[in-house]
Amino acid sequence: MKKILTILKNEVVTLISRPSFWLVTLGLPLVAALIFGVIGGLNRNQEASQAVSQAFLGPQETRPEGYVDLSGLIRQIPPQIPPGLLLPFPDEETARRALEAGEIQGYYVIPADYLERGVIRYITPDPSPFLAERARQGPFGWALRVNLAGGDPMLANLVQGPLDIEEISLTPVAAPDDDNLFMMMWVPYIVTLVYFILITSTATLLLNSLSKEKENRIMEILLTSASPRQLLTGKIIALGAVGLLQTILWGGTTYILLNLSGRTFNLPSEIRLPPELLAWGLVFFLLGYAVYAALMAGLGALAPNLREASQVTFVILFPLMVPLFFSNTVFAEAPHGALATGLSLFPLSAPVAMMARLSVGGVAWWQPPLAALLLAATAVLIVRAVARMFRAQAMLSGQPLKVKTYLRALMGKM
Amino acid sequence: MPVIELSHISKSFGAVKAVDDVSFSVEKGELFGLLGPNGAGKTTSIRCMLDIFKPDSGSISILGGPMTEAKKDRIGYMPEERGLYQDIPLERCLAYLGSLKGLSEAEVKRRAAGYLERFDLAAHKHKKVKELSKGMQQKAQVIATILHQPELLIVDEPFSGLDPVNTQMIKDLLREQREAGVTVVLCSHQMHLVEELCDRIVLIDHGHVMLYGALEEIRRQFAANAVLVKGADGVPALEGVERVEPVNGAVKLHLRPGVQPQEVLRELVRRDVPVEHFEIALPTLDEIFIRVVQGRSGF
Repeated sequence: MKKILTILKNEVVTLISRPSFWLVTLGLPLVAALIFGVIGGLNRNQEASQAVSQAFLGPQETRPEGYVDLSGLIRQIPPQIPPGLLLPFPDEETARRALEAGEIQGYYVIPADYLERGVIRYITPDPSPFLAERARQGPFGWALRVNLAGGDPMLANLVQGPLDIEEISLTPVAAPDDDNLFMMMWVPYIVTLVYFILITSTATLLLNSLSKEKENRIMEILLTSASPRQLLTGKIIALGAVGLLQTILWGGTTYILLNLSGRTFNLPSEIRLPPELLAWGLVFFLLGYAVYAALMAGLGALAPNLREASQVTFVILFPLMVPLFFSNTVFAEAPHGALATGLSLFPLSAPVAMMARLSVGGVAWWQPPLAALLLAATAVLIVRAVARMFRAQAMLSGQPLKVKTYLRALMGKM
Repeated sequence: MPVIELSHISKSFGAVKAVDDVSFSVEKGELFGLLGPNGAGKTTSIRCMLDIFKPDSGSISILGGPMTEAKKDRIGYMPEERGLYQDIPLERCLAYLGSLKGLSEAEVKRRAAGYLERFDLAAHKHKKVKELSKGMQQKAQVIATILHQPELLIVDEPFSGLDPVNTQMIKDLLREQREAGVTVVLCSHQMHLVEELCDRIVLIDHGHVMLYGALEEIRRQFAANAVLVKGADGVPALEGVERVEPVNGAVKLHLRPGVQPQEVLRELVRRDVPVEHFEIALPTLDEIFIRVVQGRSGF
C-alpha cells in the first residue's frame, strides 16, 4: 500500500508540476472566459453594443412601409402596429412618389384578384433575399393576417400557428418549444463531447506516463522496486484524480471568470438538467475512466513507444466515439429509442451514451444503475485482464505492436 | 547459504534459447563477476534472478528463497539499459526511487545529500536530469542503486561511459560495499576491471556456463606450460624450452611438454643466472575470455 501511495504521489506531483498541465487547465477556461467576457462587457454597454452591431450590420431601417390595397381587403390596421409604420396609399402613382421622396422604404400592392391568386407585389429600391420572410413576419404581414381573419387578432394568431402542442410525459422531461429547441438539440451533443474528452484525455495520460517511462528506460528499475500491479494501481488512481481535479478546475475557473466578466452560465429555464445528473456523472466518469485507463495501460505495457501505441489507440477508443456520431441525431431526436438505449447499456459506450440520455431526461429509473453495474463488471474484468498484460516480460519486450497482438493479449492468449 | 543460487535455469524467447541449463551461486559478501559476450544470456540471467522474467525451467533462490516483493527493498540493481526520469530535477528523481525502496522522505534526503556531495553532484541537484552530462547521469544512476543500502548489489556495466577518475570512484565504491558486507554481482566487458575486483566469476556464452569458479583457479587452469623470467643480464638458452617470447623487458619461456617450471628454475640457479623475477605465466582474463568465446579453450 505504501508503494502504491508513493507511485500515486509521484504521478500527481509530476503531472501538476508541468507547466503544460496548468496551461491546458487554466488556459482553456481563460480563453473561453475572455471571449464571453468581451461579449458580456459589450452587452452591459448597450451603446457600445449597438455601435458594434451597426458597424457589422449597418444602420437599422426605421422608415415606414406603404401599401396600395386594390382588393379592398385591408379595413383596419391592428392596434399592435405603431401608428405611421404602415401607410396606406390610394394608388401606385402616389406610393411611387413617396418612395422616390424617401418617405417610405418600399410599398406593397395588393391586387384586386389577391383572394384568387394570393400574390402580392413589393416594390423597393433595395432588394434582399430575406425580403419575403421579413414581409411575412413584419407589420404588413400581421395586418394582412388580421384582416383576412375578419379583424380578429386571436384568430389571426391561431391561423399563423395552429398547433401549440402541450406535451405531457409520464416521466419528467423538458418540454421543448421554439426557443429552446436549439439547446435541446445541442445539450446531448455537448454532454457527449465533454464526457468523451474527459475520459479519453484522462486515460491517455496513463498511456503517456507509461510510454515516457519506457522511453526514459526506467521501467526495469521500477519493476525491481514495485510490482506491476502496484505500478498500475498507483498510476490509475493518480491520473484519475488529476483528471477529476482538472475537470473541477475547468468548471470552477470557467464559472468564476464568467461571473467576473458579467455573464453567468444559465441554461434556459425550460431545459432542466435532472438533479441526479451530477451524481451519475461522477459514477460514469469514474467507471468509464477505469475501463479506458486500464485499456490504455495495457497498451502502454505492450507498445514500445507512443508512435506504436497510437495505431491501436483509435481501435480502443472507437466504442466511445460511436455515441458521438449520433449525439445530435439519435440522442436528441429519439433519446429513448432502441439504438440510444442499447448504446447507453453497452459498457464500452455507456459512459458517454448514458450521460447524453441523462442530460435529455426521461431515462427509465432502472437503466442508469443497470448500465453502471454492467460498466463496473466490465471495469473489473478489464483491469484484471490488463494486470495480466502488465507483466515485466511484456513491458520490456520492445516488440512492435499490432491491434491483433493487443487484442490477443487482452483475451489472455499471450 | 549462498545469497544467489541458480539451479539449471533455462529461458527461451520464441525459438531463441537465451539461457540453457545455467547454474551458479554467489556467496555472501563476495564480489562476483558475471561475464560473457553480447547476447550471451547475462541480462536474461539477471532478470531471472530478480524475477523480472520467469525461467522456463530450473529454480532460483535469492536472499534465502524465492523472490518476494519485500526482498526488492534489499536489492540494488543497475541495469545495463539504464535511465532516469529526464524531465524532473535530479534530487526529486533520487527521492522517488529511494522512497520506492521503502526509505522515508527525510532519510532519502539525508542519504542523497551525502552521496551527491561525494560524487560531485551536489551543485547539480536542482537541475533536470536531462541537463546533466552522460557521466553525471551515470553517477546519479549509481547513487539511485545504492541509496537504500542494499544487501545485494547487481550492477550491469557500471563503468561504461566513465572517465578514469570516475571509474576509480566506482571501483572504490564497489570495494567499499564488499567490505561493508554487501554481496556484489558485477557484470562487465572490461576484463581488467573484473580481474582487479572480483573474487569469483562465471562466464556465460550462448546461454551456457563456460567457466565458473575462483578467478585465480581459472587462470591456473588456463595457464600454458610457460614461465615468465627476468634476468639482470638477460636469460640464456635453456634445455627444455621450446620457444622464447619477449614480454615487457622479460621473456616468456614456453616449455616442452613434460618439462616442469621447477626444472627451469633449478637450471637457472645451477647456472648462477641473476634472476630478478620468476613466475608461472598465467593468462589474463582477457585472454581466457577470448579463448573460451572463440572456442579455443584448452579443454
